[in-house]
Amino acid sequence: MEILDRLVQALYSGVLNGSVYGLMAIGLTLIWGSLRMLNLAHGALYIAGAYIAYGVLGGLGLPVPVTFALAVGGAALVGLFIQLILINPILEKPGRDSAALIATLAASIIVQSTILLIFGGQTKQLPPVVDGGFKVGTTLISYQGLVVIGAAVVCLLLMTIFLRASRLGLAIRAISQNMDAAKLMGIPIVPAFVVVMVISAALAGLAGVLLGSILFFTPSGGFTPMLMAMVVTIFGGLGSVGGTIWAAYIIGLMESFLAVYVGPSWALPGIFLFMIAMLVIRPNGLLGLGEVRRL
Amino acid sequence: MIEANAPRQGQALPRSAGDRPRLRPAARPWAEPSWLGIGIVAVAMLILPWALTLVDGGNYVTHLIITFFVWGIVAQCWNLIMGVSGVYSFGQLALFQVGAFTTGVLSFSVGVSPWVSIWAAPIAAVAAALIIGLPTLRLRGIYVVLLTLAFHELLRNWITTGPQWISGGGYGLARVPRLGFDRLLGPQYERVFYYYTGLVLFGVATYAIWRVLNSPIGLAFRALRDSEDYAISRGVDPFRFKLFLFAFSAFFTGLAGGFSAHYNGLASTSLFDFGVMINLLVMIVLGGWGTFAGPIFGTAILTFLTELLRAFDLYRILALGVAMAVIAVAAPEGLVPVLTRAFHSLFGVLFEADEPPAT
Repeated sequence: MEILDRLVQALYSGVLNGSVYGLMAIGLTLIWGSLRMLNLAHGALYIAGAYIAYGVLGGLGLPVPVTFALAVGGAALVGLFIQLILINPILEKPGRDSAALIATLAASIIVQSTILLIFGGQTKQLPPVVDGGFKVGTTLISYQGLVVIGAAVVCLLLMTIFLRASRLGLAIRAISQNMDAAKLMGIPIVPAFVVVMVISAALAGLAGVLLGSILFFTPSGGFTPMLMAMVVTIFGGLGSVGGTIWAAYIIGLMESFLAVYVGPSWALPGIFLFMIAMLVIRPNGLLGLGEVRRL
Repeated sequence: MIEANAPRQGQALPRSAGDRPRLRPAARPWAEPSWLGIGIVAVAMLILPWALTLVDGGNYVTHLIITFFVWGIVAQCWNLIMGVSGVYSFGQLALFQVGAFTTGVLSFSVGVSPWVSIWAAPIAAVAAALIIGLPTLRLRGIYVVLLTLAFHELLRNWITTGPQWISGGGYGLARVPRLGFDRLLGPQYERVFYYYTGLVLFGVATYAIWRVLNSPIGLAFRALRDSEDYAISRGVDPFRFKLFLFAFSAFFTGLAGGFSAHYNGLASTSLFDFGVMINLLVMIVLGGWGTFAGPIFGTAILTFLTELLRAFDLYRILALGVAMAVIAVAAPEGLVPVLTRAFHSLFGVLFEADEPPAT
């Protein structure tokens, strides 16, 4: 039975990882697709979500679902500020790529050090939405884990529907296909950018809140999830939403299978080596658009 | 600069076999150095540490200047990669650590003389740079960011969890042998010799970087930046030039890492912290991304300002973030170009005869 136990363990944590990576990576890929910039503040938004929930819960004592909604809204608000104050002014300037890189990195430093000043550097954890769990063999499957997976899948589906069916989603997809043509067709570019940023910040915040009740977090804890989200984004093909969702689960499962079968310290190196190999063979990702030149 | 290589109208082509293209004097500033200026600076720099030993607290200032030498080299090297060649590599600090830990392990755990082992630092850093550079430099922007950050994380992981003789138990090697300068004139003058060593390293690195920036390689990068397609069609191979610059900057970065390890007697894993990387990046961004003087200026400001603001340490990183944000939005090219322009517009009347600054 031990073989089966390990399999269940690997599958469960793989799907859990994949769900969170999906939430993180979808925002990254949307921003990449429309704004053509790498948002290095994404990890800070993730951790901002977790800390806002922690602060609201400790300070106001509101019920957990309200707290989580406030935290997601707070992360979205931080994203809105970043977009309005830092990104919008540099959109039309020359040397935009490096300026955007610096601006988003600066945003991430500001958010992280503000959190550090308010909450201190100790590790924190959020209480779960639902307590308890059940056992499959020796693997403990918590209800909280299932909530995370369920919420992530629902959000990813909603995102896909939003992008496919709504007018705004159509506009965002048009911008990511060809910004100049979209501009000529009368799509208001800058408001669309703001919407993209807010959505992606909210999703990152949601990921932070959901995972904050499973893992411990510190002010700089957004870095590794962001790195993994970047891996997922690249693996799925930059700017491709469908590819990103597939990639999130593939990478999540790969990480947990490596951790269970080879050893926990091999999970990250294994994924990065795989990444390098894939970039050499398929430089545009799993379902990447066949474009010759990307930033 | 660019037309310096091309024949001007009415001139014969300087193209016999083996004949190197001749540059105009303005394009080869190293050929006619201002010996007086160099002499004054050199003498001042040579006297400075001795003067500082006489002043109260001067020892600490000497230490700050040595720190400035170390980070000045690294900032200049990173600027070569980030600013000049436009490769968004975040692996420079990892290369610095490769240098520090190579010489640290060799001299502390193996027992080689530090004067020998320090030369292994740049070699190991160049080797590491080639290993990272070969797969990544063909890729663009975001891929390079990811792979270099991954390299940084993996190296940090590997060193902190590695065997005792590398990790020193997780915090790094705490007793790296020093260079033995205390035996020359007594311990109170030890710092002076570290100062000289740092000065030589800094001077050599700065001169080499300056030469590279004013060489056909620097020209190639300017061409690539201005119009990549045209430069490629004229035979500039971006991959080769980027790989060269990557290895070149790794050499001095590794050397600075080795020197820093022997000066502080410490190869610390805490230098892998993201804050250190941010600090370095702010040095480049503040002074001027892609300029020659920018990183030196930025390093000087940050090294000495950080010490003055030590009492407000908690707010320091926040202030760095705000400074970076302001620079990115208000003056993306950095302080040095802005200040130079302000200076020339203020005092331009006085220097009417001079040529406008070639920036």
